[in-house]
Amino acid sequence: MSKVITLQAFFEEARAGRLTGIRCGRCGELAIPPKEFCPACQERAWEPLPLDGRGTIASFTVIRVPPRGRAAEAPYAVAVVRLDEGVSLLGRIVDIPLDALKVGLPVRFRPLVRDNQTVVGFGPTV
Amino acid sequence: MRRVAVIGVGVTKFGKHERTCAELFAEAAADAILDAGVSPRAIQAIYFGNVVGGEGERQLHMGPQAASVLGIPSVPTTRFETACATSHAALRHAMMEVAGGLSDVVLVGGAERVLNLPTDAATEYFAFASDAAFEQPAGITFPGVFALIARAHMAKHGTTEEQMAHVAVKNHRHGALNPKAQFQKEITIEQVLNSAKIADPLKLYDCCPFTDGAAAVVVASEEVARKSRRPVWILASAAASDSMFLHVKKDLSRVLATERAAEAAYRQAGRGPADVDVVELHDCFTIAEIVATEGLGFFEPGTGGVAAEKGWTSLGGKLPVNPSGGLKAKGHPIGATGAAQAAEIVTQLRHEAGSRQVDGAKVGLVHTLGGNTATVLVSLLGSE
Ligand SMILES: [Zn+2]
Repeated sequence: MSKVITLQAFFEEARAGRLTGIRCGRCGELAIPPKEFCPACQERAWEPLPLDGRGTIASFTVIRVPPRGRAAEAPYAVAVVRLDEGVSLLGRIVDIPLDALKVGLPVRFRPLVRDNQTVVGFGPTV
Repeated sequence: MRRVAVIGVGVTKFGKHERTCAELFAEAAADAILDAGVSPRAIQAIYFGNVVGGEGERQLHMGPQAASVLGIPSVPTTRFETACATSHAALRHAMMEVAGGLSDVVLVGGAERVLNLPTDAATEYFAFASDAAFEQPAGITFPGVFALIARAHMAKHGTTEEQMAHVAVKNHRHGALNPKAQFQKEITIEQVLNSAKIADPLKLYDCCPFTDGAAAVVVASEEVARKSRRPVWILASAAASDSMFLHVKKDLSRVLATERAAEAAYRQAGRGPADVDVVELHDCFTIAEIVATEGLGFFEPGTGGVAAEKGWTSLGGKLPVNPSGGLKAKGHPIGATGAAQAAEIVTQLRHEAGSRQVDGAKVGLVHTLGGNTATVLVSLLGSE
């Protein structure tokens, strides 16, 4: 039995401050929804797994030439964060000085809402 | 499966053009058909690549439009889109059509125009090739994606910004020898290191430019190829994918799709990295060339930066990489890039590359990467 978590459900939860992962009921693989088959064992038996939202920066960049419509936000940082549970997630860095960023820096999830769209963000741990 | 060869190539000048994609493709295709020595009437199918046309020219259904401008409107056309790997994917499928015996002569290529768009619009449109739910809303750009890869490679292997700069300097030096290249001037390490920051640690000269241009190749069965001037055989053509989501990649310093496609191509051809004499690979950013030279098996993981610094990938080095100037200096008209890379390798294997010729080249490798590293194609070409 697999519970499908849609993108819409993932981001509604994220907007309320809760990150939802999924864990394979057969092999224990962790993933970020949406997904049907487990890429590790090919089973279709996901169970939701609340993620704590704490992790460390695996890599980051400071975007200085932004896409259309984001000139006022630049420069801003985007990072791939390795969450403590073992999965990673890409998000916008908030409230951390750009020159303080480094690989391995602890960060914590926080939702950002922009034009009514929820974006994954990561800020300081405290 | 039948043997398949490339029998003709054509590439427009890369840079800024006022002509439409269909016009640019038709020019490259006509050159390729004449180079192949076949009649336009011999073309049985067209595999056409384009990425930005819908946005830049308000033009979909570009395949038959290009065939109409070329003057062979009754030939069936199909449009391909795998982001930056578009026309290499088209080449692989054309090879399969000929290898399978459905056609004897197929025209493949692509065209792109982006310089008619403002930079922020082109940056936004390119980012559409990364995930729309997780990545685009965070404000990621293509330089940003490769900056994440660069930072991970630097953290894991100690790769430096100066080593990356060596890739840019080398590809500009090669591009200066290519009359079709967008940039035909040499640059220095200092210029790269002091250029404007785009997405840290990548700077302007770490990035390939926006480019207009087109490229085409004619592929044919062995029977047709034997009658042509100088056939170059497709020894292997392989495609591989990886997750579309950057956050799934457990090691950002590697491009798994490159490693998978290379392994499949080497197996198909019964050859290995040591058999390759010349390479055209996807240097959309300097770090991309470093990671690709490792993933293709030319250098140990983590040593691609050292190889660039020591000049091993330069013309005259152990393994010349991107003698055309690469995407960095020759330019990167997205949908045309794979065909243009193949055209350069064919030119090298025919020993017709003039001042940028790799002496005695017999086997060449073409590597094209699509989007956020989710698509990679690798083909091996040989003069025998
Ligand atoms: Zn599983």
